[in-house]
Amino acid sequence: MAEEQKPSESKGVDGLKLCHLGQEVVVPAGERLVTQGESPEFFYVIQSGRVKVFRETADGIRTDLTELAGGAYFGEVALVTGQPRTASVEAMEESRLIKVSKEEFDHLLDHNPQLARHIIHQLSQWLISGDRRLESEVVHQVKLRQISWFDYVLMIGLSIILALVVNIYNDNRIPLVHDWGVKYDIPEISLMQAQELYKKNQAIVVDARKSAFYKQEHIKGASNLPLILFDLMYPLFQFTVEQTPGAKDKTIIVYGGTFSRRFDLELGRLLKQKGMQHVVALKDYSGWAHALPIEGQEPKEAASLPLGLPGYVEWLPVGIFLLILIPPIRRSPYLAIVGRIILGFIFISFALSKIMRPAVFALNVVDYGMMPSWGVNLWALVLPWAELVVGLFLILGIRTRAAATLIAGMNIIFIVGLVDAIFHHLPINCGCVGEVGEPVNWWKVTKNAGMLVMCIQIFLYDRFLVLDRGGFILRDRKI
Amino acid sequence: MKKEFWKLAAILGLVMVCLALGGCGESRAPFAGKYRSVEPFAGKSFVDLDLKGDGKGTWTHAGKSTEFTWMVNEGRIWIYTKSGAILIVTPGNGGNLLSADMSADWHPGCPPGSCVNFRRVPEGG
Repeated sequence: MAEEQKPSESKGVDGLKLCHLGQEVVVPAGERLVTQGESPEFFYVIQSGRVKVFRETADGIRTDLTELAGGAYFGEVALVTGQPRTASVEAMEESRLIKVSKEEFDHLLDHNPQLARHIIHQLSQWLISGDRRLESEVVHQVKLRQISWFDYVLMIGLSIILALVVNIYNDNRIPLVHDWGVKYDIPEISLMQAQELYKKNQAIVVDARKSAFYKQEHIKGASNLPLILFDLMYPLFQFTVEQTPGAKDKTIIVYGGTFSRRFDLELGRLLKQKGMQHVVALKDYSGWAHALPIEGQEPKEAASLPLGLPGYVEWLPVGIFLLILIPPIRRSPYLAIVGRIILGFIFISFALSKIMRPAVFALNVVDYGMMPSWGVNLWALVLPWAELVVGLFLILGIRTRAAATLIAGMNIIFIVGLVDAIFHHLPINCGCVGEVGEPVNWWKVTKNAGMLVMCIQIFLYDRFLVLDRGGFILRDRKI
Repeated sequence: MKKEFWKLAAILGLVMVCLALGGCGESRAPFAGKYRSVEPFAGKSFVDLDLKGDGKGTWTHAGKSTEFTWMVNEGRIWIYTKSGAILIVTPGNGGNLLSADMSADWHPGCPPGSCVNFRRVPEGG
């Protein structure tokens, strides 16, 4: 496109009877010869040196159109059309030019058909190349705004592949589906039967959940043997049972199963393996709180540890939310770049803390009780990698709109989980980082909402520093 | 697309290096060694805790051993069980005493009733 305007192709001015016209001027490098929007007065022919032709928008976005050298000419469009200058021209180096006034130019055109034809030809070339440039830019813009299924397949597929491959070589690997194909072979009893055994003092009741859940609410008189600490805590439980009068004749009722993990059945199986007899679980694993007497402590915030730097950075999207209320800032592509870096940093940091210890994160997922048991490990394996991949895509400027929608989707899931945990007074922390976590409260929800707003801003207005299908887009695009 | 792929591959390579380095944590050397519980656990025998320098460890009680991995984070020992539980162990007396929080609730301290204390076993002892 630009090649059609190369100075070498403007040699046509030789022999067009331009000599003896106008006045010769010498301009230093950097001097502006023509300013876009001004009324036209002169036509210029370059004798030596180089000039740059460019356009500039009201908000300062500059588009370089072409460079011209000795033998080329400029300024004829505005003189022919009588319209203000369509572009600006600046000397790139010291240049020698012939400056022809409008009167002389009109006179020349009237008496020099060869020059007139040349100018018409040149203008036609510009029209054609302008059309092509316009089409190319429109295609480019359309591609930039496009989101294809491929973007999602790329990001999610990459996350799944990395999750599976790294899990194979990870010392802390977990199975893709927890206890897939395992038969627990634990007899289950109804709540009525459990009530009867409990009333007749013929049962030892064992809570299989984490101690924080047990402390908050449990069946009165039940002992706690957290499944996750079975190997370490079983001797203590065994000792307790041995001290219980008539323990050999009693039925051991294990409970504490959830939608996300049947802690009760797993604990029952382990107790049977240890040789304990008469182990049963509740058929309605979640009904014990309504059927049997309960005791516990008032709900209180779960033990938690601060997230460190990423925890503070999480507040930035909330602060930026205030800026978004101002329309010109709301639409700024620069704000989108800031948002991409912040979100990318947060998600990469959180992902790195979870990737190597998926079992820890899987238990955090179980705490929320929203994921079916077959999906917990898959989610715990893939989500951190998805956070890492989309975080990298955002920072690197690859498929940023699709990446923003994925992060927005994750934030919506997190917000739903947090709100559910708050309303059910779950004694858990957020589980956002593998080994430490912040309390589940409305501040945490606010942080996630801030990130969600930032994703929407990126989706709508991100267009700089991105690597899209048409190439890398910087602040000043040369077309 | 090709350029994009290589750029992403390079970044993922860097991430892998970060993961490998990040998993190392603080030096384990000050706390590596053998420990024994101050009192018998569960009215039975003592618990033997072996923290190996390579990040692996064993909890042995009544002749049965349970393996785990451990690392040092902000001066505390973090024990990771295979099942995903984390026990936070607080060192005292220059690393000669350890207090293990058995609640697995990430308490920075050691809550009464859920605490097992260990004393370092002198080498060769």
